[in-house]
Amino acid sequence: MSRAKLKRLGLDLPLLPTSTVGSFPKTPELAEARTRYARKQTTKHELEGLEKKATEFWIRTQEEIGLDILVDGEQYRGDMVAYFAEIMGGFRTGGLVRSYGNRYYHKPVIVGEVKWPGPMTVAWWRWTQALTGKPVKGMVTGPYTVMDWSFNDYYPNRKAACVALAREIRKEVEALIEAGAKIIQIDEPAISVRQEELPFAIEAMHLTIDGLPAYFITHACYGAFETIYPDMLNLPVDNLDLAISNSALDLLKIFEKDPFTKDLSLGVLDVHSHTIESPAEIRARIMRGVRVLAPDRIWVDPDCGLKTRTIAETRGKLEAMLSAVRGIRQELGHTA
Amino acid sequence: MELILSNAGSYPRIGDSPELQQHRKAYAQREREEIGEEAFRKVEDEVTAAVIREQIEAGVELVTDGQIRWYDPYSHFCRRLEGVEIDGLLRLFDTNFYFRQPVVKGPIRRRGPILLPEYMFARSVSSRPVKPVLTGPYTLARGSILNGGYRSVHSLALAYAQVLAEEVRELARVGAPLIQVDEPAILRSPEDLNVLAEALVGLAGERGNAKLVLHTSFGDVTPLYRDLQALPVDVLGLDFTYSPKLPAMIADMGSEKSLALGLIDARNTKLEAAESVFPILDRVLPVLKTAQAYLTPSCGLEFLPRDRARQKLLTMKQLRDAYVGGRR
Repeated sequence: MSRAKLKRLGLDLPLLPTSTVGSFPKTPELAEARTRYARKQTTKHELEGLEKKATEFWIRTQEEIGLDILVDGEQYRGDMVAYFAEIMGGFRTGGLVRSYGNRYYHKPVIVGEVKWPGPMTVAWWRWTQALTGKPVKGMVTGPYTVMDWSFNDYYPNRKAACVALAREIRKEVEALIEAGAKIIQIDEPAISVRQEELPFAIEAMHLTIDGLPAYFITHACYGAFETIYPDMLNLPVDNLDLAISNSALDLLKIFEKDPFTKDLSLGVLDVHSHTIESPAEIRARIMRGVRVLAPDRIWVDPDCGLKTRTIAETRGKLEAMLSAVRGIRQELGHTA
Repeated sequence: MELILSNAGSYPRIGDSPELQQHRKAYAQREREEIGEEAFRKVEDEVTAAVIREQIEAGVELVTDGQIRWYDPYSHFCRRLEGVEIDGLLRLFDTNFYFRQPVVKGPIRRRGPILLPEYMFARSVSSRPVKPVLTGPYTLARGSILNGGYRSVHSLALAYAQVLAEEVRELARVGAPLIQVDEPAILRSPEDLNVLAEALVGLAGERGNAKLVLHTSFGDVTPLYRDLQALPVDVLGLDFTYSPKLPAMIADMGSEKSLALGLIDARNTKLEAAESVFPILDRVLPVLKTAQAYLTPSCGLEFLPRDRARQKLLTMKQLRDAYVGGRR
């Protein structure tokens, strides 16, 4: 069904389309410029120049590796929620909160009505898409995750904040589609943290994308299968992206009981490990999916954003992934 | 009925102003080996004293040491045990906080007192009673990777209970008035209640004159409320923020035990108002049989920025005073 939708959107993707979850490591030059910018030692203009240079580097790298659906690599974003919270109306930068060890971050606070400030990611999407003939995904953080990763001083409860965010984030999705984006990923890594809230997380996704003409992917994090399957199938998206590299889940058993009804992106690279997986290892992970779901419904990607890896690790991992995918494509092509 | 203001556990160790960054700076200096362990310990002492002072100034009557020395609720205790190593980061329940997972490789043994020296220090710098807080045996077992020494979460929980019982004995012996045992994990696995019950027996047997507080958080406690009443503890610490039906349940069933009412949301910055807190107190307090109850944050305050944590405590005191004053 989703293949038909992709076709309608004018997208002709190979078997087992390959992509990444969103972020790539900042290039050293850019990382250094970001530090200088934070210390007010460089201009916004210079920083943007380096962001563009880094983005172009990642576009070329993805093309060289042979990925099918590209991302802009989020070179201009620090954190996937703070980036939006800093631009949207209704938010204030909060005080420091510890995440672990000696790591602290500024958690955003909703202090008024949240408001779409005009396109937040569209200029970057347009600029990036102009660099390549391959489709570039639109990348937006979903309303539930923005709500969960922010404090809420304004709305009466979590659901009200989430629904209000959904209505505003929808405007960003519409703007991306208007600019020409055909594949849009709405990230919801927080979606499995409170099982009892899944109904309104799903309601928020409806508000965000219902009736809009694009192929929608949602990335959820490790553990989502255990906690919210099969209810998560009610998310109105075309493709669910799930981390399986680190999990010993028996997909066959799970899908036998509750059939998987969408396209599945298999997160087959462990982004938290420095080790570069061998094509054979990756192949085995992909085959766990291919054995239980029609191959034309499976996409292949890493299990999360790659921003914490080095450039060399990122490249090595993705090359191994492509090598495994090419092997499987060939076999499936032969047997077809 | 006396309504005592108490802290629930952790407290933010740094704030946003430069003078409140002392702990973060010292931590980084120690990592770069610019200062030694002893100098860092001194900073921990100072920050512990400062957060105790801050709690007292905000009106808290039963303070904690803020768990300033704790890397996280698991590894702080477990890394000091024989038979346990510390592994990578894992998300703490539904928070954006990460803890290092203990890996159990062999029989667990204590090398010596772990929490006693921390408690003794906290008490020496506090003009109000201090409540030591420890992570309970069931939650430690649930959060550990079992790699040897024990066959199940059940037997591992009992092993943790044995070493924790020694901690409880030492703390009770020096006069800790209350000792809090955090068991958030039980809310996610209610089927293991018998494991928790068995594990708590050892701790309860060593509590002497101290009261044992069982605190649960990060989930709805309503389905377990009745069963928690049967556990060998003296006070139940309840997180109301996940449990909308809890006030009605308590009003209906009452409580044999003293309750610590976690009505101040320690996970969100919004400050509580009388309109939301008083109706719950109206329902709950009349059915309690004990002479004392406690008003607390819903869990440790470290999930909030420092300034907001302080404001939460101030709000807690204002609400208690207004409530008690209005009833006189």
